[in-house]
Amino acid sequence: METQEAIAESTPMETDGQSDSKRGGQNRLVLGPNDSLEGKLTYGGSMTVDGGHAEGEFRVGGNIEIGNGTVVKALLEASNVTIKGEVEGKLTARDKLTLGKQAKLNGDVQVRRLQIEDGASLNGYVRMGEFEQQAPGS
Amino acid sequence: MLGPRDRVIGQIYIEGDLRVGGVVEGEVEVTGDVEIDDMAKVKASLAGRDVTIRGHVNGAVVARKRLVVAKSGSLFGDVRVARLAIQDGATFSGKVSMGAGAATAPLVKAVEAPTPVPEPEPKAATEVEKPAAPIVAVPLVAAPKITPPAIIKTAAPAPVAELRVAGKDGKGKPVAAPIKGKPNKKKRR
Repeated sequence: METQEAIAESTPMETDGQSDSKRGGQNRLVLGPNDSLEGKLTYGGSMTVDGGHAEGEFRVGGNIEIGNGTVVKALLEASNVTIKGEVEGKLTARDKLTLGKQAKLNGDVQVRRLQIEDGASLNGYVRMGEFEQQAPGS
Repeated sequence: MLGPRDRVIGQIYIEGDLRVGGVVEGEVEVTGDVEIDDMAKVKASLAGRDVTIRGHVNGAVVARKRLVVAKSGSLFGDVRVARLAIQDGATFSGKVSMGAGAATAPLVKAVEAPTPVPEPEPKAATEVEKPAAPIVAVPLVAAPKITPPAIIKTAAPAPVAELRVAGKDGKGKPVAAPIKGKPNKKKRR
């Protein structure tokens, strides 16, 4: 009983309440430190790059998360994008883009909502507002 | 402090902090911090150290230290800042240039600009005036041969000034006459 309680308490603490959306999105692609992805990816689930190498064009139905210290050179498109590392390239967030304290983003951005934490670095054009549904090819 | 019923249209420069609650249109430069309150409507370029936006802003923003766009804030315009924080719920559209250099550059230029301008102006003015004087005198005296040589010597080290005079005034010939006396006379004949 005690251990179960401990687990129940610890999970929301770690994931900060985002666990629901991640698990609800069923599929999740995780690139760890030894993983590498280069090219064009269209994916229905969510994607996490944490320490891995990723370069290209990623269009994702769910969310994209770029972990701390990770460098990604790519065009990104997702519902929610959370960046804690470095990203170079155009970015589209159908819902929200979050830049963490140590995030660096170089590139133009189109978002519906935007949150930038103090300390983050951003260079590029920001376009905000109601999102026009774009075909993946555009 | 500009209250919610205050309105400013024009250029504001303030040594210190500024808090805006009303309407501002034009150009705002503040050495300290700028705060734009909830109900404020600003259609102006803003420059300050810390800039906090809770109201409506339409215009370019330069923050030497930090720009904060709060939940209730909306900002449309290009931004040059050292640090940037945008809270969830804020509205922002524009170009972001970030880094310590980007934010400080425009303000320093604005301060330095007035000083170098006056320096070259008087020089140019005196150079032009010296040769210009004899030209005015030429038609009046009708015998300029005595006076021009002395003035031309002073003007000689600055060939640019001579050219200007010749180009400016069709009557530049009398000034040149003492130097190239013969060709001028030929032309006249």
